[in-house]
Amino acid sequence: MTFQTQAGFSEETDLKKTKHGKDLNRFLFRLGTMVLCVLAVAVTGFLLSPYAPNSPDFLNRLSPPSQAHWLGTDQLGRDVATRLLYGGIWSIGLAFLITFAGAVMGTMIGLVAGHFGRVTDVALMRVTDSFFAFPELVAAVTIAGVLGPNTANMVFALILVGWMKFARLVRSLGIDLVHRDFVVQARLNGLPSTLILWRHILPNIGPSLLVLWTNAWSRSILSISGLSFLGFGVQPPNAEWGAMLLDGKAYMQTAPYLMIFPGLAILSCVLAINLAGDRLRDLLGSNAVGTEK
Amino acid sequence: MLRVKNLRVRIHGKAILDAISFCVQQGQTLCITGESGSGKSSLLRALNGLLPAEFERLAFHPKTSEPSELKGRWQGAPGLPGSRWVMQDPIAALNPKLPLGVSIGESVFSKSLSATELNDAVSEAMSDVELLPGLAVRRPSEVSLGQAQRACLARALVARPELIFFDEPLSALDAIVQKQVAATMRRIQMRYGTTFIIVTHDLGFAATYADHVLVLRNGKVEANQSAGNFFKSPESRYCEELLLAATELGGLPEVVPATQGPEVARSC
Repeated sequence: MTFQTQAGFSEETDLKKTKHGKDLNRFLFRLGTMVLCVLAVAVTGFLLSPYAPNSPDFLNRLSPPSQAHWLGTDQLGRDVATRLLYGGIWSIGLAFLITFAGAVMGTMIGLVAGHFGRVTDVALMRVTDSFFAFPELVAAVTIAGVLGPNTANMVFALILVGWMKFARLVRSLGIDLVHRDFVVQARLNGLPSTLILWRHILPNIGPSLLVLWTNAWSRSILSISGLSFLGFGVQPPNAEWGAMLLDGKAYMQTAPYLMIFPGLAILSCVLAINLAGDRLRDLLGSNAVGTEK
Repeated sequence: MLRVKNLRVRIHGKAILDAISFCVQQGQTLCITGESGSGKSSLLRALNGLLPAEFERLAFHPKTSEPSELKGRWQGAPGLPGSRWVMQDPIAALNPKLPLGVSIGESVFSKSLSATELNDAVSEAMSDVELLPGLAVRRPSEVSLGQAQRACLARALVARPELIFFDEPLSALDAIVQKQVAATMRRIQMRYGTTFIIVTHDLGFAATYADHVLVLRNGKVEANQSAGNFFKSPESRYCEELLLAATELGGLPEVVPATQGPEVARSC
């Protein structure tokens, strides 16, 4: 082991660590502010817009971008810009909800699998494996299709196909942490296992979970749009980026902006979250183990 | 107070530790030494129920807490009640996300103290190991290695154990901090009459510190002598070599000071 070097350069590494911590905090603060800003812009823009997202205006059908309608209007004369903002709240918000629920569910299953005996572990991980065996989108389409195409069923379907990665990550990291000295100490000191999980295991898995979660969030936006585009998600007349793409498909030749702008919105949103996730992984560095993919 | 008879650890049919017997008297220091891989650390793990060990007899009779008597396999939760363990690498032994004060306080979790009692106990233990009270809110990455090891010491101490296991408590530290922490350990022992079982490969440290020396080799006891006897006339050829090597490297003082208290009958 490298105790010699640790002892020799302890001061230096301490400094590095604190600076690193500050960078991380600053980044998380910025990220949080940015997300809030985007949401605020979407909400206020939507509220300030003179148009309602779902009210048709048949005199202005399919009008190209103009001063009155910045991004044009669709086949029912609805303002595309307003619908885009309104739909963004749905896309981003639903994806947040889905991944949050998936993360909570997966984390709980992973923790239980890793720490409550071999039988539980094998049973839960086989269940996880079998969920992994279904292609994500196909399974979601099937579930949403069987239950009936609406928003609630889509959310349920996407939660159901999205929790397994969290479970696997939490289980493997948790099993690794159990043998660390500080967890052994906690056991020797007689802490109950639930408290050990809550205080010692979970906080040390947190950074990796965060990275995986940003990843899942952006993928989830794609899934929601995909399902809505296929008609299994958010239903017309409600706006959602994928649903807008579906609406605009019929007019692709004559009014391409009906597809271009929602497409750009999906692209930039997913890209932004992915880039934030990458930066997060860099900052968390070796803390975030097991998320190389 | 601690008596171990015929401890044996077998993993995958291979005996890692075999026929280990020794005993420690109240308030004394037993140093366990031997080359790397001889089973020193495994012995500590076995004594705390972290390895599948078999005992012909394990008897631990502290004055203030429940005695433990064990025959055969370890049962129940790991850890001898009334004992604590200080590990080798203080950074690894402390949760990086928890303030030192919380880590220290966890040691008395089972006593379910009130918030003020817990606070008092933690600050007393911290002053015992000469840690400034302000460090209680720091995280392990924000203190020096020496301070982290003192926090580990405080964590052991806050439970008022009668026996503390040390696994190479000084080897992660530099020489000056080693000396300071060793002095703190000694002061604690004087003050509370705690029994120490110290795993170390530093024979110089053992020479100044131990009352009794247990040498392991390939998982078996090579020597089990009082420190005075061991450093003057070791039991076996292997121990002589060990001592010779340490002297050549300068790890062992030329004159072995007799630091032990009054001679106690050691009939193990």
